[in-house]
Amino acid sequence: MREEAIKQDIENRFSASSVTVPRRQRIIISLPKDSLFSFIAFMKEEGFLHLSSIICVDWIEEDEFELVYHLTSFEEGIHAMVKTRISRTEGTYQSMIPLFEHAQTYEREIHEMFGVDFIGNQRLTPLLLTDWKEIPPMRKDFNTREYSERMFEHE
Amino acid sequence: MDRANIRKAIKDPHKWGEKYSLWVTYFCTGCGIMEIPPTITARWDAERFGVKPMATPRQANLFLITGYVSIKTLKAIIISYEQMPNPKYTVAFGSCPIDGGLYYTSYNTINHLDRYLPVDGWIAGCMPRPEAIFIAVTKLWKMIEGGMVDGYKRYEENIDYYRRNQERVLGREFIESSPAPMTEEP
Repeated sequence: MREEAIKQDIENRFSASSVTVPRRQRIIISLPKDSLFSFIAFMKEEGFLHLSSIICVDWIEEDEFELVYHLTSFEEGIHAMVKTRISRTEGTYQSMIPLFEHAQTYEREIHEMFGVDFIGNQRLTPLLLTDWKEIPPMRKDFNTREYSERMFEHE
Repeated sequence: MDRANIRKAIKDPHKWGEKYSLWVTYFCTGCGIMEIPPTITARWDAERFGVKPMATPRQANLFLITGYVSIKTLKAIIISYEQMPNPKYTVAFGSCPIDGGLYYTSYNTINHLDRYLPVDGWIAGCMPRPEAIFIAVTKLWKMIEGGMVDGYKRYEENIDYYRRNQERVLGREFIESSPAPMTEEP
């Protein structure tokens, strides 16, 4: 199976990573944040040419943001999810623009919705929200019900 | 036209023309716009009722707010509404403009449309079927006949109230840049 071969290859090169293959055509890799950039460069050479999206998850109890990079290989038909955790209080990470130019838009959105700063991204300007003055709305400590009632339920 | 209505039409041709030429601003607010293509095309054929989409708000007199209204959309709705000539009618379509619906706790979707614009009629449902639009149109006819549709007059009378609520959501800058609404009758 091709997925198992890729798993072996990753485990040999990146000893700190943990790789699981939940089913056909899926690989989930989690690894520390220091080695993520070189890992994605390696995956790009392996044929994972498409960065489908970047997702941010707020783990407020552990004081961490989880970044998930979705990579797709068109030749093999494999979807790889690369996960890493960054500090929530610090909230900065390296930009993926040197590898994938279109990561700029994804990072802009994550910056707006979670407040993560991507170092190397020159265009972290507002994207979707209008005149936002509160903390970023997708953070778990942002109370949407309270905000909605304060803004829209008034007389 | 029914022969029995000829006398009524001759008596008040202005109202008769208003009733049977409800032209809709072609404005896609939210997901409710999905019901408009079958309504205006051959399956339900809204032109039987004199309802048809119009290219610009300056030529239209019915505003269908189809679906949830986000803050950015509200800005565009207010600009379009104020461009429409009097008399103009607003019908909120679906449960989201009524009380927020599914998006009640959303941070960028308004909850009550009638705090920002005068609304003449509501169509409940998620989504309302095209038949519901026709029921609303026939009700609107009755209301126009009785002179009960006064949304545009309420907007002019209570402009301070509406502007205050709009300012709360859209900011001072938007209110200062928008001119006072039209007051003259056509």
